[in-house]
Amino acid sequence: MAERTDPPDPSGFNVELLLKQARTYLAFGEQLQPLGVRFHETLEQEGDWNTALRQYFDAIKIALAQATDDPGSHPELAQLWTVTLDTWQQAIASLGFPASIASLAGSNAEAWQAYQRAQTQYLGLLRQAAKDALDLMEQRLTAQATGATVASLRALYNLWVECNEETYGRMLRSAEYGEFSGRLLNTLLRCHPAGETKP
Amino acid sequence: MIGLTPERITEELQHFHAKLTQGAKTLRDLGEIETGVSPRDPVYQEDKLTLYRYQPRVEQPHPVPLLIVYALVNRPYMMDLQEDRSMIRGLLDAGLDIYLIDWGYPDANDRRLNLADYIQRYIHHCVDYLRERHGLDAINLLGVCQGGALSLCFAALYPEKIRNLITMVTPVDFHTPDNVLTHLIRYVDVDLLVDTLGNLPGQMLNFAFVSLSPFRLAGQKYVDVMDILDDAQVLKNFLRMEKWIYDSPDQAGEAFRQFAKDFFQQNKLIKGEVIIGDQRVDLRNVIMPVLNVYASQDHLVPPAASKALAEICGSQDYSELSFKGGHIGIYVSARSQREVPPAIAAWLLAR
Repeated sequence: MAERTDPPDPSGFNVELLLKQARTYLAFGEQLQPLGVRFHETLEQEGDWNTALRQYFDAIKIALAQATDDPGSHPELAQLWTVTLDTWQQAIASLGFPASIASLAGSNAEAWQAYQRAQTQYLGLLRQAAKDALDLMEQRLTAQATGATVASLRALYNLWVECNEETYGRMLRSAEYGEFSGRLLNTLLRCHPAGETKP
Repeated sequence: MIGLTPERITEELQHFHAKLTQGAKTLRDLGEIETGVSPRDPVYQEDKLTLYRYQPRVEQPHPVPLLIVYALVNRPYMMDLQEDRSMIRGLLDAGLDIYLIDWGYPDANDRRLNLADYIQRYIHHCVDYLRERHGLDAINLLGVCQGGALSLCFAALYPEKIRNLITMVTPVDFHTPDNVLTHLIRYVDVDLLVDTLGNLPGQMLNFAFVSLSPFRLAGQKYVDVMDILDDAQVLKNFLRMEKWIYDSPDQAGEAFRQFAKDFFQQNKLIKGEVIIGDQRVDLRNVIMPVLNVYASQDHLVPPAASKALAEICGSQDYSELSFKGGHIGIYVSARSQREVPPAIAAWLLAR
């Protein structure tokens, strides 16, 4: 019996994923660079490590908040914490909705508004987890003040990932997240143009 | 403490950029990423299903064949990813005669396939084919993850046709508190989902899995690739895994509907309330010897979800094998290659 050939694998390695994260990492470093200069200046001027660190993180939070409020201003930096939403948007593209589901707004306004509200709630949870991660990172660094040293950008990035995974994981297991993520999908499905459900 | 200087950041960014540029060439030159390394022959086909027999690696393989039923989610070549990471290779080396069901890629024509089609038709036909081919009343069955749940249903419905049953990282109690997949699907309107989309796109499943650990799986992992871009062999290993992760077949709509509602949302398997076709699945009918293999650090199928089988199945010869690792590591880690296939083979050969 001849061996049947599977369909071509549409999901081979996506170099774009690699490049996107590389750009995000570079943006992370470029964002930290001037803040790092200020951190060292503050430390030299005041000699108070805690004050300098606090100012350092306040600056990072402001930068990330700007990237959140206006992703267009720092799109690659915004990718740092909106990675889940980004993956969600890619998944939506596979559901047979138009490339821009905003075009559905006119045809099914009520459902569209419900989806927008669900997405706002969902994004709010992600944003809060990202902010909590920065607080956690600050705590970790403060606790390490007399011990291990974060001596490379990569180590700082890894710490950032670790803290985000921890706060995100807590959020993921919360009752709110289960409810909001379910609502996100359900409201999206209700945006599907009427009459196009599968017979 | 942060010992990071602006100069160090600049240096690292330049280094990272240079590696990325060089790595692009390595990626271009890698060629095709091959998966599924053990020679095998198709012996039975039905619709999109193909039953493969792996070529034995001993002169006289064990007379009772072992049929592997993989999950409908993702592709079964995870069991035979590469030469040094192949559970199938390990089982063959231990003298077993291995068959595997490849479900193929469901398309729009398959949206009405339900669990009865998968269990009472596809698995049943494969089991009967092997019984006839080997002249046996009963064969050995190994179900993996969701395939384990399907295998449990089959074994409960047709216990006389299964000599020994092995379940691997198989959920039985879907409502343990640490089951994050159940948590995510709890509020999903599954009827709306299937009625709207027909089949469930594989990319939705990818989203669900990535969303469990997005900063590592969609971020850090790709930054870490920079460290291996100059090692073609290690990079190929990474890309094989990457290919498997995103090679997600769509899920036949009706089968997904029943699995999501009855198993995840309503936890009917452990309650004895699952109906396949017109038959109720009672796990107390699983009376053959059972080996339940679970991973102690499994984040998708928590150990408690698997171990619940001990209390509910009817077997008088029930054993567990705890593997120290996660849901993926149990297939591909070096520890797994050393521990799991030999343990499965020894258990089977003793029965």
